Amino acid sequence: MLPLRLLLRDWRGGELALIASALVLAVTCVTAIAHFTDRLTRAMEQQSLTFLAAERVLRSSKPVDSAWLEEADKKGLEQGQIVQFSSMISANDQFQFVSVKAVDKGYPLVGQLEISKSQGGPREIAPQGPPPGEAWVESRLLPLMGLQLGDPIALGDTQLKVTAILEREPDRGTSLFDMGARLLANTADLPAAGVIQPGSRVRYRYLFAGDDQVLKDYFDWLKPQLTEHQRILDLREGQPRVASALDRAESFLFLAASLAVLLASVAVGLAARRYGLRHGAYVAVMKSLGAGRNKILGIYLGQLAALTLIATAIGLALGTFIQSQAVNLMEGFFPVQPPATSWSPLLIGLATGIACALGFALPPLFRLARTDPMQTLRHDWSNPDRREWLGLILGPSAMLLLIWWLSGSLLMTLALFVGMLLLVAGSALVNRLLVRGKLASLGGAWRIALGSLQRRAAFNTLLIAAFGTGLLAMLAMVFARTALVDEWRMQLPEKAPNHFLLNIAPHDVPTMENMLAQGEVSSTEFYPMVRGRLVAINGVSIKEKKDRPGGVRRELNLSYTDTLAPDNRILEGEWWDKTSEGVSVEVELAAQLELSLGDQLRFSIGGLEVEAPVASFRSLDWNSMRPNFYMIFAPGTIDNFPATYITSFYLPPEDKLLVNDLVRAFPSVSVIELDKIIQRIRDTINQVSFAIESVMALMLVAGVLVLIAGVRASIAERLQEAAIIRTLGGRRRLLLRSLMLEFGLLGFAAGLLAAIGAEATLAVLSYWVFELPVILHPVLWLTGPLTGAVLVGTAGTMACYSSISQPPLRVLRELA
Amino acid sequence: MSAILTAENLYHRVSTSEGPLTLLNNISLQLARGESLAVTGASGSGKSTLLGLLAGLDKPSEGKIWLAGEEITAMDEEERAAVRARCVGFVFQTFQLLPGLTAQENVMLPSELRGERGAAKRAEAFLAKVGLEHRLGHYPRQLSGGEQQRVAIARAFASFSGDDAILFADEPTGSLDAGNGAKVIDLLFKLNAESNTTLVLVTHEQRLAERCATHLRMSAGAVESYESPTGDDNLSEVSA
Repeated sequence: MLPLRLLLRDWRGGELALIASALVLAVTCVTAIAHFTDRLTRAMEQQSLTFLAAERVLRSSKPVDSAWLEEADKKGLEQGQIVQFSSMISANDQFQFVSVKAVDKGYPLVGQLEISKSQGGPREIAPQGPPPGEAWVESRLLPLMGLQLGDPIALGDTQLKVTAILEREPDRGTSLFDMGARLLANTADLPAAGVIQPGSRVRYRYLFAGDDQVLKDYFDWLKPQLTEHQRILDLREGQPRVASALDRAESFLFLAASLAVLLASVAVGLAARRYGLRHGAYVAVMKSLGAGRNKILGIYLGQLAALTLIATAIGLALGTFIQSQAVNLMEGFFPVQPPATSWSPLLIGLATGIACALGFALPPLFRLARTDPMQTLRHDWSNPDRREWLGLILGPSAMLLLIWWLSGSLLMTLALFVGMLLLVAGSALVNRLLVRGKLASLGGAWRIALGSLQRRAAFNTLLIAAFGTGLLAMLAMVFARTALVDEWRMQLPEKAPNHFLLNIAPHDVPTMENMLAQGEVSSTEFYPMVRGRLVAINGVSIKEKKDRPGGVRRELNLSYTDTLAPDNRILEGEWWDKTSEGVSVEVELAAQLELSLGDQLRFSIGGLEVEAPVASFRSLDWNSMRPNFYMIFAPGTIDNFPATYITSFYLPPEDKLLVNDLVRAFPSVSVIELDKIIQRIRDTINQVSFAIESVMALMLVAGVLVLIAGVRASIAERLQEAAIIRTLGGRRRLLLRSLMLEFGLLGFAAGLLAAIGAEATLAVLSYWVFELPVILHPVLWLTGPLTGAVLVGTAGTMACYSSISQPPLRVLRELA
Repeated sequence: MSAILTAENLYHRVSTSEGPLTLLNNISLQLARGESLAVTGASGSGKSTLLGLLAGLDKPSEGKIWLAGEEITAMDEEERAAVRARCVGFVFQTFQLLPGLTAQENVMLPSELRGERGAAKRAEAFLAKVGLEHRLGHYPRQLSGGEQQRVAIARAFASFSGDDAILFADEPTGSLDAGNGAKVIDLLFKLNAESNTTLVLVTHEQRLAERCATHLRMSAGAVESYESPTGDDNLSEVSA
């Protein structure tokens, strides 16, 4: 095993350690992210069916035709049924608003119910829901109502006995609005309870499971018969929001990892080039000793293969370890427990290691094999073979393919490359400005530092680009999650409403208004809310409209009023007087639907259809924290449909107790505390950004590797320069200062470039994502260059310190 | 005695930015097994180029070379490397030891490249022959110039794997002081005599050249004169 022996013997040279470190870094980074996203994606897939509690679900806002269920029965499909609504229950003279879920004996078809028979007692699996006459409740309901297991509760006109504590239901949603405590009952008890009244918001879920083909045939038969109020849910829709967020996070993380891989590859390339140059003499000697080209190629390819395998194995192990720690840290954030790791992330990591090694380390080794043995006699160690086309093509091509594969988007990959080219061009410009400045006139150390910067312009450009990329990403991330969120909060009007009240029954409105007035709380108006779906425009079904906006694919909250809200503005058409009719449409939705004034809109509300002409287009301010509606009707159009009311109000933190009074007085009302939701969003961003910032940190480590690789390439030259300056009387302190200045200036330039890029990124995020006015962030302009100067200054000085610490006589003798 | 090295009408030209340049101009020679040849001349006279061509490191533009009975000018690089691995040893002016390897590992290298077993023992024995058995684990930077050249000589003798052995030495004392140079040359000739190897020595020192059986003086890529130690003029074998 000559290649392995030579590899071990040559380890002290330094380049191999650097190549190995860069490979380890690239593989670690990609493996960790691949593991992380793979586990979560597989968890989502596995758990999606559980989220549905079935293989397919038919969702409806009213009971479906019984013939449909009979047909499923005939086909041999398993079935279950859920009826879900909000209602008041009472016990021990206490009232509580709960989220009722009534299930039949088929529920759940997939997943498991977990219950316990005492507070804090062991959990047990329940194969079915509660039998008729019994109810299972969430544990928090017991102290709230002073209940014990075995006590009766009243649901409408019927009494149910609480027999178990509901610990877990497979299909419990994660909606922010699903806030009431859960009560699980049997559907057989609903008729006697009489709680479902016309206008009640009830959701029916029909569960199905069975042979794939039979399911497909059944739903193919069913689909054409569905109405606007019915929808089929399958695996893809188990948790669509989480899945799409995960998709986006995966692309972003892989893109960030690709940057780290790109930088690590540059370090591999620099170190391999240096290794190739240093080994030119070795190869010439070996050739003179009788080693042919193939032998040399075999030795160095063997070394590269061994090095790649060892570094990749370490990277795979580290990546696996890091992701397991990350998943542990983020436990609780995701609604499912991620499954064990699989093989595919390891393959992705392995491919990354091989692509980096082949793309960047192979070309210098191929050139090495072409070394002319006559060099041993000519004492000429310059590499006469200038054909570097292989390196120019192979490295970028390997990276392009790898990033394309990782990100899954050619457009994103090309954008990244163009971005990198722009960054390199910007770096070259900054570097040029730096060395052309008048800084040299400042004195000895400055002159030496600038001289060094001038001589190594190409490497410095690379270094500024490498650190600039890492710092840019880091600054943009940190400022986006701190400054932008704060700016968004600060630009909310003072005393903007921070609480919403939903589900207010019409007869409760006057009492509630009084109660708020007594508490000296000024609320916005009370708006009626009717659930309905837009079904046709000018008689043409909305289903035929391609690219219809998401807002009209689901049921909308429709409202009616004769008073225009203060933050609403009519842009086109007229707001109605007492005699006119029609609907006022939010202007952006109107544009997406290509509506014109006078267009006839048909809505389906509780199975009945209503038509109204478009009377006006209206702009509104979503940040006002007031109830806002896409569609507002003129009074008289939808007033006869059952409605609930909504309002919002500002409550200072010291008056928070009023919320408890409201909940007690109106148990059916749902309260949304916005400050808690903002806190939850902030927590979520913090948890997710932990993963992203870890990748950014690895990018900076990759930048340090590029720096070390570059410094090593020039170390002999630096040693000689330092030795000559010291021989001529220069003190070590002068050289140390010049080193600190040289790398500090480079870091400053990288940080400046990063600040420009980060400010541009924040401006884009402010304008398009947060819809905030674009402002400058002075702290960023201070933090970027300062962080860059300290980071690169320290790393560079440390990497070069050996060049000024050795006795000059020894250096000159060795170099001679 | 049978010839181990024969060169016939060698020409070597290279192209430069100023046009073609002739480095060697019609050189022929023949060397018997165990014989020693000194090649001298001023800098740029073509000595090292001739040495490289004779050792098979490069191919001449014209002419033929037979080394150990095989025409190396008809071979590709791989085949020439195989011949070198079997019967060519080198001693360079600047030692050319691999700095990352110890003295023993440097001497082991030729055997390892041939894939032989027992390379360590063999290297130890050769280092003992040059008086460096106590320096096996030392790196080149830890050795003096004279010691480094002795390691290089040990490596050169470790390069031979058959009866046909020819040692090419390129200014072996060029980087050494007079005292060390003399010691190294004494050692080189002693081992050469013991092993009955053929020696081709490039040098600019007349005193050194005189220790060789034959002496070829070069000028501007051509043979200027040829002298044998016995005074015979063998120009029938070495023509210009």
